[in-house]
Amino acid sequence: MADLTSYIIRRTILAVPVVILATFIVFLMLYLTPGDPIRAIMPPHASQADLQALREKYGFDQPFLIQYEKFLVRLFHGDLGKSVARGTLNTDVSFLLVEKLPRTLQLMAIGLTISYSIGIPLGVFSALRQNSWKDRGVMVFTLVAYAMPSFWLGILLMSLFSVYLGVLPSEGTVGGFSSIILPALTLGLGNAALTTRMMRSSMLEVMRQDYITQLRSRGLPEREVVLKHALKNAILPVVTVIGLDIGWFVAGAVVVETVFSWPGIGMLITDSIADYDFATVQGCILVLAFFVVFGNLFADILYAIVDPRVRLG
Amino acid sequence: MSARKSLNDILISWRTSGGIKQTIVDIVSRSKRNSMVVVGLTIIIIIVALALLAPVLPMASPTPTQLNPEDKLMSVSWRHFFGTDELGRDVFSRVLWGARVSLLVATLSILFSLMIGVVLGLTAGFFGGVVDYIITGTIDLFWTFPSFLLALALAATLGPSLENVILAISISYWAGFARLMRGQALTTRERQYVEASRALGAGNLRIMFTHVLPNCMAPLIVWASVGVADAITIESSLTFLGVGTQPPTPSWGYMLNRGMPYLEEAPWITTFPGVILLLTILGFNLLGDGMRDVLDPRMKGLRR
Repeated sequence: MADLTSYIIRRTILAVPVVILATFIVFLMLYLTPGDPIRAIMPPHASQADLQALREKYGFDQPFLIQYEKFLVRLFHGDLGKSVARGTLNTDVSFLLVEKLPRTLQLMAIGLTISYSIGIPLGVFSALRQNSWKDRGVMVFTLVAYAMPSFWLGILLMSLFSVYLGVLPSEGTVGGFSSIILPALTLGLGNAALTTRMMRSSMLEVMRQDYITQLRSRGLPEREVVLKHALKNAILPVVTVIGLDIGWFVAGAVVVETVFSWPGIGMLITDSIADYDFATVQGCILVLAFFVVFGNLFADILYAIVDPRVRLG
Repeated sequence: MSARKSLNDILISWRTSGGIKQTIVDIVSRSKRNSMVVVGLTIIIIIVALALLAPVLPMASPTPTQLNPEDKLMSVSWRHFFGTDELGRDVFSRVLWGARVSLLVATLSILFSLMIGVVLGLTAGFFGGVVDYIITGTIDLFWTFPSFLLALALAATLGPSLENVILAISISYWAGFARLMRGQALTTRERQYVEASRALGAGNLRIMFTHVLPNCMAPLIVWASVGVADAITIESSLTFLGVGTQPPTPSWGYMLNRGMPYLEEAPWITTFPGVILLLTILGFNLLGDGMRDVLDPRMKGLRR
């Protein structure tokens, strides 16, 4: 158990620089944004003295690192500044984030469920029929689904289910649960392609092992060999790479939420970019980056718990 | 006929010559037998050819100065192969001009990523020590940070333009190349021929570029091809979100965005750019996957 604890500590320390990089990039965003924020809020004919006074008041006259330090201190207090967008003027960014985050998490959770419930059975199916036309068909599907940009897939699903069949709502959250189906499906399908490929190669690997041959030679029905013995071992590496999936889901969520007007963090980013509301953009990027970093951390620790060999690395 | 025959003769003489020429002939003949490479390359060649020929092909301008209201939302016809959009512009012409933008952005940003990655990766792997420690740390930081998010943040900060999209993708994508190069450099520098070369008086730079780099060519080609596909995805997504290339430059992501309100009335506005976008990405992915099997069968299954 000691080696697990030490692994968790080592792995957590590794995440610290990435978190710092995230805050730095986000800080740099506001620092480098073209245009002077003070000029933007003051009337165009304001005097130099007035501008200077305001600069001093907000600390814009101070050196770069001092400003960064102040930014970090405010961040620790949960203060991400205030929104300047017309609809949400003067709302705390952190408030907006807390409001929108559950929507994004909901979308990702259902997307992830869809992705695994398609990818795992399909990968097993494909592996058991290696090199048959069915296997090749599945591989072509994964190639196309992987290449498909998520916004184009979203538009296709929207045309099919909302425009032509008219069975599912195309945007917003008015339809309750039925509203989340299309965005979650869009998010899940692309990742299902990756899961299928992973599951297929993992299954092929396991089926070649000696203990499978041994079970077969003892006369165990093939069904039992696959479902009871092979699957358990093959599924492990697939589920533990959930960390890699998180990066995909974060990028996908931004695009998919925009396509379907799903009011989560992703849509908040695109709206805020359009409104030049950079404090909010900053906050969103930071939340999503933290989400990826901690997701990876969590997945790695999970992996170390199920597979003791990892802890030594 | 005679031209073809002499080409054949050249090929035969190459095949038996040994050295680099034989390697090229070998790779070409193995590629021809790999269906992924053939299909992928065919798609890419057709799309690149159409993109290059866009200015000379007899078709409507993608950004006409004079817009006719009666031309708008016209369906697929002989005059407009892909129909017209909500402003009456020819979708076929805009798709081809959009290909130029996408391919330009993708190849340039992957080229820049490749240069950053090769230089940093080689330096880190070859020199080791403190240099390696610092560079590897930087590589790992950028590798962990989700590249689409970084590109989005950069593009939003720098302001939407073609150059900034290239910059954003280059900065967020180089870490993969650097990791690859570092790993290769680490193993190659221990080889005996490197030692022999050093004994003959070769300097660091010479060893890096004549021994280490050629050894990494195979995985680099594979990664670059897949990288172009990823870059096209990122570029079109950024443009779709409104932080990429700006109108009037015709671009696939922008066309798909603007076509969304007309899904029922005029589905061709989104369908054609979408299909070509998918085919282009698919082409580069197929080429990359196929080349991996051709160049080094041991790498099979390395990518997820």
